[in-house]
Amino acid sequence: MEYVSPEGLRIDGRRPMEMRKLQAEIGVVAKADGSAVFEMGNTKVIAAVYGPREVQNRSQQLSDQALVRCEYSMANFSTGDRMRKPKGDRRSTEISLVIRQTMEACILTQLMPRSQIDIYVQVLQADGGTRSACINAATLALADAGIPMRDFVTSCSAGYLNSTPLLDLNYVEDSAGGPDVTVGILPKLDKVTLLQMDAKLPLDIFENVMQLAVEGCKAIADYIREVLSENTKQLEYRRGL
Amino acid sequence: MRGLQLPLTQTQKVRLQRALEKLEALLSKANSNASVTVADTIPVNYDDAFLKGHGTTEHNGEVVATVCGVVERVNKLIYVRTLRARYKPEVGDIIVGRVIEVAPKRWRLDINYSQDAVLMLSSINMPDGIQRRRTAEDELNMRSIFEENDVLCAEVRGFQHDGLHLQARSQKYGKLQRGQLLSIPPYIVKRQKQHWHYLEEYGIDLILGCNGFVWVGEHVETKDEMLVDQDKPESQTSKTNDYSMSLESREHTYTPLETRQNICRIANAIRVLSMLGFIVTIEVVMEVVNLGVSQNMDTHEMLGSEFCVLVAEREAERRSQKRTRGN
Amino acid sequence: MNGLSLGEKLFIQGGIAQDLRSDGRKRLTYRPIYVETGIIPQANGSARVRMGGTDVIASVKAEIGRPSPVQPNKGKVSIYVDCSPTAAPMFEGRGAEELSTEVSVTLQRCLLGGKSGAGAGIDLSSLIVVEGKVCWDLYIDGLVVSSDGNLLDALSAAIKAALSNTGIPRVHVAAEASGEDQPELEISDEEFLQFDTSGVPVIVTLTKVGRHYIVDATSEEESETSSAVSVSINRKGLICGLTKRGGAGLDPSVILDMISVAKHVSEQLMDRLDSEISASTITCSIRQCHMWLGNVFKLLSSPATQIEEGM
Repeated sequence: MEYVSPEGLRIDGRRPMEMRKLQAEIGVVAKADGSAVFEMGNTKVIAAVYGPREVQNRSQQLSDQALVRCEYSMANFSTGDRMRKPKGDRRSTEISLVIRQTMEACILTQLMPRSQIDIYVQVLQADGGTRSACINAATLALADAGIPMRDFVTSCSAGYLNSTPLLDLNYVEDSAGGPDVTVGILPKLDKVTLLQMDAKLPLDIFENVMQLAVEGCKAIADYIREVLSENTKQLEYRRGL
Repeated sequence: MRGLQLPLTQTQKVRLQRALEKLEALLSKANSNASVTVADTIPVNYDDAFLKGHGTTEHNGEVVATVCGVVERVNKLIYVRTLRARYKPEVGDIIVGRVIEVAPKRWRLDINYSQDAVLMLSSINMPDGIQRRRTAEDELNMRSIFEENDVLCAEVRGFQHDGLHLQARSQKYGKLQRGQLLSIPPYIVKRQKQHWHYLEEYGIDLILGCNGFVWVGEHVETKDEMLVDQDKPESQTSKTNDYSMSLESREHTYTPLETRQNICRIANAIRVLSMLGFIVTIEVVMEVVNLGVSQNMDTHEMLGSEFCVLVAEREAERRSQKRTRGN
Repeated sequence: MNGLSLGEKLFIQGGIAQDLRSDGRKRLTYRPIYVETGIIPQANGSARVRMGGTDVIASVKAEIGRPSPVQPNKGKVSIYVDCSPTAAPMFEGRGAEELSTEVSVTLQRCLLGGKSGAGAGIDLSSLIVVEGKVCWDLYIDGLVVSSDGNLLDALSAAIKAALSNTGIPRVHVAAEASGEDQPELEISDEEFLQFDTSGVPVIVTLTKVGRHYIVDATSEEESETSSAVSVSINRKGLICGLTKRGGAGLDPSVILDMISVAKHVSEQLMDRLDSEISASTITCSIRQCHMWLGNVFKLLSSPATQIEEGM
C-alpha cells in the first residue's frame, strides 16, 4: 500500500514532516488538582493529577521524596474495534510504567517528601501516537496542579515508510509494519527521557528519524508553553488583587 | 474555561467575554510580564545579591522557574507564586480541616496540603476549661472531643519533625457544627487580618480558611471560660447522642428556615466566585449576596448562567471603580 | 471524598426536610444539565452530559453480527459502563468494578427489558437486516469522567442523547444466500438512518432522606441516604424498569408514592433533555458543515485530485 504518494502527500493529506493539529484544554475535571485534555489529530486523551497528598499506603511512603503513581486506561469506544478490557491488560500496564518513569524524571520529588502524586490518563479516542499524547497531557495536568518540575516533558513519534521519514504517525501508518520511534524530551534542558522503537532500521536512517521526532517534540513544547502562559495570565487577571 | 460548565446563550457569552476583557485590561497595566511557565528564565539583575525562593531553581547560572505562576519580588527574595496549587501553610494561618484519623495523643486532619496536619491533644483546650496535664484517661476519651470526619477550625502552629502542627487554644477554635463546608481553591482566599466573620444581621458564622475550606454555618456563642460551671448542667443534657433522638425531636433541632436561606445564599455566592476565579473576601461575598437578593433570584438560580454573567460584570465594575478611586 | 461529620449530616437532613437543600435547590429540582453530542467522531453516535459536577460520556458503536437463534428477528444491544480513575482516585485498578457492574446491569435492565427482549426501550427489531442471518449489534459504552452523585440519571440521559445522534449505515443486500451462508452486504458510507429515540426511557432516581425524597442527589446527599429508588420512564409515562438500592426497608405505599413523584418529575426532565439535545444537534451540524466544507476545499486544492482528473 502506498503511504506516501509520489507528490509527497500522506494518506490524510499531510506532508511527511507535518504534524497533526494540536489542541489542548486545561481544567476539565473540577475535582482533580490538575487536569488537561490533549488532542493530536483524532487522538484524544484526558489526564488528571491528584496530589501531592498524604500517602494512602503507609508502607509505600518514602521519607525523602514524593511517590509518583500512574495509571493508563483506554475507553471501550476509543479504538475502531471495541476493546474488551479497558485496563489491566499488558499493554496498559507497560504504558503506565513508561509514563510514570518519564514523569518522575521531571518532577522535583525531593520538595515533597512523604507525599503521593497520582497521575491518571484516560484515552477517549485512539488514532496512533497515544503514548505521546498521554505524556503531553500529563505534563499539562502536572503544570496545572502547580507541582514543581525541572522542565516539561513533550513527546512525539516518527516512522519510516516508503523511504521517507514521517512525523506523527496515525493509526493506519502505525499498523503498516514499519518502524515507529517514540521520543520524549525535556526541551529546555535538551535531554532525552524516553526512547522507544519497534521494527528495525539502519543506524544512519535512525538518526534522521529520531531527529525528526525531536523537532516534533520541540514544536509541541512551544504549543504547550503558549497554552500554559495563556492559562496563567487568565487566572491571574481574574483573581485580581 | 475551567469550571464554567454552564450552558451559556450567545448573548451571555458575549457579555461574559466583555467583562473578562475589562478585567484583563485593568490588570495588564500593573504586572503583565510577570507570569512565567515551567522552565522559563526569570529576568534578574545578576549584579544585585538576591535569594532564590519557592518555585525557582538554578540552571546554567540562570534562575529558572519550576512552576507556572507569577514572579514576586520582596526585597531581595525572588519567588514564583503559584496559582492553582495546594495550600502552602504559614505560621498563624487560620484553617478549617476535617479529622481523618484519631491517633495516640493526636488527631490527623486533612487540610488540602501535601500531608495530613497533626493536632496534638495538648494543643487544645479541654472541654471543662481547666488547664491541666493530659492523663491516660483523656487519651482514651479523645473521641468524645473530636471524632472522625468532624470539621474543626484551628490555627497553624508550625512545622515539626513529623509534619505540620496545629493548635486550637482559643475558645473560638474547635468543632464546627450546624452548617456546610465548601472547598474552593486556596489561591483565591486572600490573607487578611480577620478570617472569622460573624454576620449579625443573618446570625451566621463565616470562616474563610486560608487552605480553601470555607465554613458557613449557624452562629454559635463562644462561652466565656469563667461561666463554665453555670453552663455545665445544660451542656450535659445536650450531649446526648443525636442518633438516639427520634425523628420528631431531631426535627425540632433543625436550623430555622430563615437562617438556612441565608446560609445557602452565602454558600452559593462563594461557589459562583470560586467558579469564576475571583478573589473571595467578606465584602465581595456580601456584595454578591446583595446582588442576588436585589435581582429577586431564587437561591438555586444563583448557580445558573445568568447570575454568573451578572457577577462577572459587577466585579469588573467594582474593580475599575476601585482603580479610579485609588488613582 | 471523606465522610461527613454529624453536624453536617444533620444540616443536610434539615435542609431536605425544609425543602431547601445545601445549594438552594428544592427537593425536586435538577442541577443545570449541559448536553454535547457528536464528541467522538469515530463512533456511530456519542454524547457528553454534565449535571453539576457529574460528567459522563456515552458512545454507540454499530457492528454487523448474527442474531441469536432464540430471537432471529431482533438485533442485539449490550451496555457497559466504566468509571475512569480521573473521576476519583479510588476508581483506580479494580476499585471501580463494583460500581461499574451495578450501574451497567441497572441500565441494561431499564433499557433492554426482559430476557425475551420484550418491552425494551430500544426497538430491537429495527436493527434487523436479514432475518435470521444478519443484524446490527449495538455496543453502548459509558464512561464516567467526573462523579458528583446521580450517575444513573446522567448516564441514561447521555445514552438517550447518543442514540439520538446515532446514524446506522444503510445496508444493501447484494446477493441472497441460501442456508447457513452469510449474504453479501454493501454497507453504504454516505447514507445513514437516524435512530428513533422517542421510545427510549430516562431514569429518575429518587433518594429517600428522612421522611422526604429528593431528586438529583449530590455525592454528599447520597452518602446520607437510607435507600434510593431508580425508575425508568418513557415518554408515554410507562414504567420501563425499577431498581431499589440501599439496605433500609421501605413501606410499599412509600414506593408507590415515589413512583408517582418520579413520573411527574420525568416529564419535565424529558422536555429539558429534548430541548438540550436538539440545541446541541444544531451546533453539531453547524460544526460538521464547517468541517465538510473545509475538507472539500482541501480536496479541491490538493494537486493529487487534479492529476486524477487529468487521467
